[in-house]
Amino acid sequence: MIGRISPQALVVPLLLLIALTVGAVVNERFLTLGNLRNFTEQLAALGFVSLGQAFVILGGGIDLSIGAIASLAAVLLAGLHGGNEALFIPSLLLVLAGGAAVGAMNGWLTVWLRVHPLIVTLGMASVLSGITLLYAPQPRGSVPFWFEGFAFDSLAGVPLSGLLLGALFLITALVLTRTPFGRRVYAVGGNAEAARLSGLSVKPTIITTYALSGFFAALAGAYYVSRTGVGDPHAGDALTLASLTPVIVGGILLGGGRGGLGGVFLGVLLISLLNNLLNYMNLSTFVQWWCKGW
Amino acid sequence: MSGLAVTGGARAALAALRLERFALIGAVIGLTIVAATLSPAFLTLGNLRDIFTQAAPLGMVVLAQALIMLVRGIDLSVASVMASAAVLATAFTSTDNADIPLIFGAVLLGGAVIGGINGWLVTRRNVSPLLATLAMMILLQGVRFAYTQGAPSGLLPSGFRWLGTGQIYGIPVNLSVLLILALGLWVMLRYTMLGRAIYIIGGNPRAAELVGLSAQRVTMLCYCLGSMLAGIAGLFLVGFVGTVDNWVGRGYELDSIVAAVIGGVSLAGGSGSIVGALLGVLILVLLSNLVVILGLPVEFQLILKGVIIILATGLYARRMRA
Amino acid sequence: MIELKAICKSFPGVKSLDQVNFSASAGEIHALLGENGAGKSTLIKVLAGAYTPESGTITLGGVPRIWAAPKQAQQAGIHVIYQELVLFPDLSVAENIFIGHAPRTRWGLIDRKAMIQKTEVALSQLGHRLDPRARVGDLSVADQQMVEIAKALSHDVKLLVLDEPTAVISGKEVVALFERLRRLRDRGVCIIYISHRLEEIFALADRITILKDGKNVRAGTVAEFDRASLVTAMVGRPLADLYPPRPAQTKTAPIVLAACNIHLPPRVRGVDVNVRAGEIVGLAGMVGSGRTELAHAIFGSMARTKGRVTLEGEEVPPGNPRLSIQRGIGFLTEDRKAEGLLAQLPVYANITAPNLTAYTRLGFLRRPQEVALAARDIERFRIAVPGPTSGVWHLSGGNQQKILLSRWMAIKPKLLVLDEPTRGVDVGAKAEIYRLIRALAAEGVAVLLISSELPEVIGLCDRVLVMKEGRLMGELQAEALSEESIMTLATADAPAQGEAA
Repeated sequence: MIGRISPQALVVPLLLLIALTVGAVVNERFLTLGNLRNFTEQLAALGFVSLGQAFVILGGGIDLSIGAIASLAAVLLAGLHGGNEALFIPSLLLVLAGGAAVGAMNGWLTVWLRVHPLIVTLGMASVLSGITLLYAPQPRGSVPFWFEGFAFDSLAGVPLSGLLLGALFLITALVLTRTPFGRRVYAVGGNAEAARLSGLSVKPTIITTYALSGFFAALAGAYYVSRTGVGDPHAGDALTLASLTPVIVGGILLGGGRGGLGGVFLGVLLISLLNNLLNYMNLSTFVQWWCKGW
Repeated sequence: MSGLAVTGGARAALAALRLERFALIGAVIGLTIVAATLSPAFLTLGNLRDIFTQAAPLGMVVLAQALIMLVRGIDLSVASVMASAAVLATAFTSTDNADIPLIFGAVLLGGAVIGGINGWLVTRRNVSPLLATLAMMILLQGVRFAYTQGAPSGLLPSGFRWLGTGQIYGIPVNLSVLLILALGLWVMLRYTMLGRAIYIIGGNPRAAELVGLSAQRVTMLCYCLGSMLAGIAGLFLVGFVGTVDNWVGRGYELDSIVAAVIGGVSLAGGSGSIVGALLGVLILVLLSNLVVILGLPVEFQLILKGVIIILATGLYARRMRA
Repeated sequence: MIELKAICKSFPGVKSLDQVNFSASAGEIHALLGENGAGKSTLIKVLAGAYTPESGTITLGGVPRIWAAPKQAQQAGIHVIYQELVLFPDLSVAENIFIGHAPRTRWGLIDRKAMIQKTEVALSQLGHRLDPRARVGDLSVADQQMVEIAKALSHDVKLLVLDEPTAVISGKEVVALFERLRRLRDRGVCIIYISHRLEEIFALADRITILKDGKNVRAGTVAEFDRASLVTAMVGRPLADLYPPRPAQTKTAPIVLAACNIHLPPRVRGVDVNVRAGEIVGLAGMVGSGRTELAHAIFGSMARTKGRVTLEGEEVPPGNPRLSIQRGIGFLTEDRKAEGLLAQLPVYANITAPNLTAYTRLGFLRRPQEVALAARDIERFRIAVPGPTSGVWHLSGGNQQKILLSRWMAIKPKLLVLDEPTRGVDVGAKAEIYRLIRALAAEGVAVLLISSELPEVIGLCDRVLVMKEGRLMGELQAEALSEESIMTLATADAPAQGEAA
């Protein structure tokens, strides 16, 4: 929170710069507009969930149900409206609200049972995966054509998803640094008992961070649906781990209370860039398979 | 000592401990009765043997998980270790049964190295066990994919089939191995200095250092033993399944944690027992079977597991506070 | 102003507050006194809404109140400065002061400029200079305390509680703090001041309430008390009965512990300690003066960077508790629950923990021997437990401490280091523990006793070393011991000449 640049803070930007340079050198198409757009599109889902994870981790928790929420959101969004386009918008709202509600439930269970959030969200993930697979053993459903614009349209050359992600990052940064809620998140994550003794409302703060995480996970699920046009029950599987990486790379201390969103943003950029870069480089099959294993 | 006032709290705590073991055994009996009533075929020798054969590899992983949880750890890499052990088994070109000891040796060695790295990260680099083992899980996954190029192609010696599904005098081979391993661990935890050290370190690592025990070394050892056990479990599981793929043991990380938690092994470290953990496995397996007997989709097992792990930890957490 | 009536609060195994009454009015400084474990901190937490009492009423300004959370008490104008400061080290001074009630802009966002300005104003009102943007974790303890006070004043504080504020500051800082507290009192704030330093009470307080073992003992204006009556009220009996008699001095006994030029930066900077067989040597000083760290450096649980420790002439290597225990050093730590007790294990395992090899044959534990030892100690030290195999967590502090003492006695130590051995122990158990320590010394064990309770140091020790900021300030023989002589050394500017050990 206090502006001071430490040497460690420069590591990620530096890596980012190296990745960009290497990309430009290795392949002339790397820095083209086309690839840039492609890149932003891949970035969005990861960006959304990292925001949610950042809230939770700053508040002293961890959310391992992100991927399961995203998958459930994806199949419900594609399936609920049953082909009736008029029902699509309501089901979109329902899914986003549902994500937040499931997240809030995670939060409520952690504060009420006082169980480690790891267990609660892992258990929740298992429950949600079960529901998802019951509802959609195979990819199912469809989306209205216009909704695919969420993933593929652009405004003045910038993909819509990228714009949304940028806007959400700015809003989140504002919320974290300039609102009482953001301050509470830092305080609770830093020292929950001290926060309680200082008269802050600890439990609602924790629950809200999980609700936000659930919301962002559902948003990522919706984004997947708009990209693929179908509700894949495994859409979000990789997101749980993926959401942790940028947050950790970006330097938010696991344990809570420290770190800023700028780092997370750079972390998201770096991870996506690396993925993108690997696609462009003719790396040995070993590395490619290794990366796919992630 | 007689004639001294017994504080109510201490007596209540003792009672709770006994109650806990009672409740576990009660749950096993209750679930068995329910299953037997619903499906008369459940209590046949053949069916029970099948259930145990199926559950034995999980039991081995739970031993590993419980051991690591006792020293305040958690191991999310167990399933990845299992799959890696299975893939490693295919690396020996011949399918000669004579290679089996060699394969076991290689897996044990690999397990020791992997557990050693986990333990090193946790004890020396202060990485949280969750992150360290998560990273290990991903790393192994990547290595496996790279090595197999997506799909393993090697074959296993036929002897693995026997290890995974065979019987000696009507007792499943893998169950006997599980029971031997469990007995060994039980004796170690209950009757040796190392076992006592594990409980002391898990319960209060700071106090352990101050009574002259090396928390780092013992914790490291637990991670090593854990990964070795997980590797063995992987070999037995692949023997049971019959085919190797990159995802042998998928889901066992959650299942092992669930079983250990049901069995009363505390995530906070320092309390829990091998018997409890095995009872936890039994309960989990019985519940999964009930889902099948009731004709429910298998996905219900996932839902059930999730609910149970949250409830069980919640209940234990409440009891500790009371 | 504030009135608490018939407050009861229990914890597992302990009745912390039993029908306690307390009242204080606006514009007075009210001292809350009592020994450690008397229930002062619990009462404060009840007052502040951090604990919910089982029964009793709280009346503030004539209105009965029930706090569900600290937040409500704070909104009613009650602010507590705890001994362990409630600050967020990663946030700035201004952010800490305005945590939970930062000034907002028109848009509802936090107005940082206004916040920093208000912080400057608040600090200057206190007469204290600090950068509002500084990270609180980087400040000295005294500065952090000022941040806490500024934080309290940034609310509309009617009732300010300070829990042992002078435990972490000294000298000029204390004088400045008192000055500011008097100014606040004159503005009509009710101040509750907790301390067990009697001279502070007489210098500052208007009225006094004394607790003992969770019950009211006496209350009245400061004029009604003198030192002796205060002490008697706090301890509940004349001091003489509490401590075993000192044996004739044994200046000729062989030196057991010889620690030379011990360094453990930043807390210990070149300390020499000798303890003879059968001698109880006290280690006094303010909290943070490096006493505990010195103990760790001798025992090896923190590795000293310089210096030499020998035990009966035998070298004790740095940073190896296991070897230290083998050589015959026992260390009873300050924080019983975090650093001593094995909560999930039975009594016998708690006792044999440092000495497991003695109860192991061929790698297997000899449980019957362990249980027998525990049974013997339970009898010998009159530990109130059901038996050697029962749990330890729900026992009272005194019984837990006796179990830990028996743990260290079981290694047959040559040197026993005791860090605050009677913290959180009731008076009856205290007397027994003192008796045990003296009996141990009589058997020829060298004892190094760290304590913040001056009466304990004065009553028990044969010789006292006083530390300040990591250095020895001087040594006092039994005849020269008094609270004044110790405090003079503990707050002196330089080592007393000729007396330094």
